[in-house]
Amino acid sequence: MHDVALQSLLHDRGKLLAALSGVALAATLLWVQVGLFVAFLSTSSAIITRIGGDIWVMARGTEVVDNGETLSAGSRSALSSLPCVKAVRGAVIAVSTMRKPGGALDFVQIVGVERQQRPLVPWVMVQGLPVDLQAPDRVAVDEHDLKKLGLPEVAIGHGIEIGGKTAIVAALTRGIRSFALYPYLFAEIGSARRLAGLDEGQAQYWVAELASPACTGDVLAKLRAQPDLDAHRTHEFARMTEQYWVFGSGAGGALAFCAVFSLLVGAVIVAQTLFSITKEHEKELATLKAMGATPRELVSFVAWQASLLALVGGVIGLSLTAALRDLLSREGIQIALTFPVFALGASAVVTMCVLASVPSVRRVLRVEAAEVFR
Amino acid sequence: MSAELVRVRGVDKRFGTGAGEVSVLRGIDLTLRAGELTLLMGPSGSGKTTLVSILAGLLRPSSGQVALCGAPISELDEAAVSRVRRKHVGFIFQTYNLFPALSALDNVALGYRMRGLPPKAAKLRAAEALAEVGLAERAQYLPAKLSSGQKQRVAVARALAGGPELVIGDEPTAALDTPSAMGVMRLLRERVTERSAVLVVTHDPRLEPYAHRTVTMSDGTISGERQGGAA
Repeated sequence: MHDVALQSLLHDRGKLLAALSGVALAATLLWVQVGLFVAFLSTSSAIITRIGGDIWVMARGTEVVDNGETLSAGSRSALSSLPCVKAVRGAVIAVSTMRKPGGALDFVQIVGVERQQRPLVPWVMVQGLPVDLQAPDRVAVDEHDLKKLGLPEVAIGHGIEIGGKTAIVAALTRGIRSFALYPYLFAEIGSARRLAGLDEGQAQYWVAELASPACTGDVLAKLRAQPDLDAHRTHEFARMTEQYWVFGSGAGGALAFCAVFSLLVGAVIVAQTLFSITKEHEKELATLKAMGATPRELVSFVAWQASLLALVGGVIGLSLTAALRDLLSREGIQIALTFPVFALGASAVVTMCVLASVPSVRRVLRVEAAEVFR
Repeated sequence: MSAELVRVRGVDKRFGTGAGEVSVLRGIDLTLRAGELTLLMGPSGSGKTTLVSILAGLLRPSSGQVALCGAPISELDEAAVSRVRRKHVGFIFQTYNLFPALSALDNVALGYRMRGLPPKAAKLRAAEALAEVGLAERAQYLPAKLSSGQKQRVAVARALAGGPELVIGDEPTAALDTPSAMGVMRLLRERVTERSAVLVVTHDPRLEPYAHRTVTMSDGTISGERQGGAA
């Protein structure tokens, strides 16, 4: 019976094309929304995950990486003196004012991290080299932020006025953008401190490497006992930042809503498509029923058609999503198409097709075999 | 005496409820025996199609009993009735009801597959069946590429697939010209054996010479019955 169901579906190329378009577009919508949402989450916490470390130490009350307060050099000493702490790096992540060439005032986010063996941030450079940032007040900016920063397309060597000081663009990054709407300016730690108006030895965060994961709880407890400090495991702080942007800003909520809404819209499109196909084949289904097909066989007839639409439409949708991801990344819009996103989207497409086939199955089960005589 | 294939006793059928209730069949008694080609005639609205639907297990009677090939189908659940129908009944429809996506061969093979033959064997038997109805050359044609007469011969081959005891034709010749109609009736008549029967619902008096028996209906009752008339 499966081959009959598939042959029936393939027979009318026009309707098949319309059905596949519906499923493919619904799947694309779904993957794009989920991909945007996941990219949103990972981008919002990318600075934390790229800098890494075992624990992050910050001013008490800090909820999100973008809103850190300045810590004194003394707090670093307190951290370094704990027995399990192997190494400590300072991280400057600070908002500063910027005067555009036209005179307008805007904000930027300065990022600088003390190095380990190799430079970790910025992690994607399309022009310039990490060594170019070593000279004083040299910064890397994202190629998609040039317009916002009032810089020309050939920006290397141009100056930007940051907090009354002049920084020189020495490198360009790609796709490293802040959700705080303030362009990132990456610099060596010394330059970052100067541009952010910090004294030598100050930072917004201390990132610690521990000798053993077993002592993480002890270290956190000791740091939290201090009245003006807070500390979190790196992944916890990343999660806090993601949640801050998802639940604390309308943008995250809107994306989540769009992802769920696209699932519903997709389900409706597929349901309508399947239902109209089932209706088209009602006479054939009634004939099968008259010939003695069981309800199970009739349901499998519809299920096979739904499965084929889900599979082929899903593959087309995935290809479209990949093409859109490449296209949009050139505009600085990120769509994460990782395996979990693929798996989530694929499960959602299958669930969508299963749910969407319910009205068709109900209709099939209600088909009157006596219809064959009408 | 030949085997009793269909036994209908005291069957009533009503549609709707309350003031909107319509009585379509009243007190029907009918027996179909193997070895007979029976015509069921009568004006439109006399209840022919409803009666055929009930005796084939496609509709349930409001009251009364129906037995099909020994199975009390008015008492069985839907799945059980489907199994009885699948095993014992073949259908021919006025509008052929062929699967447009399937070739003539696959349409006939579907009849064999429904009766339990594996796909390969079903295709072999279908090819033989199409040759018997003179359509060997058209086996790979889709229904849309066949004439009305050819479509109905494919439908006949499908209905006869696997040798069902009862073949029911609902106006099988209504859409056909006289030569095609007579061709279909000859095919049906030839398939009537000591084990099987054919019931044809029709308005068409041209078919009477092919019948062993003619049953007439009017206003939801059986109003007449006569033997003979077979060519």
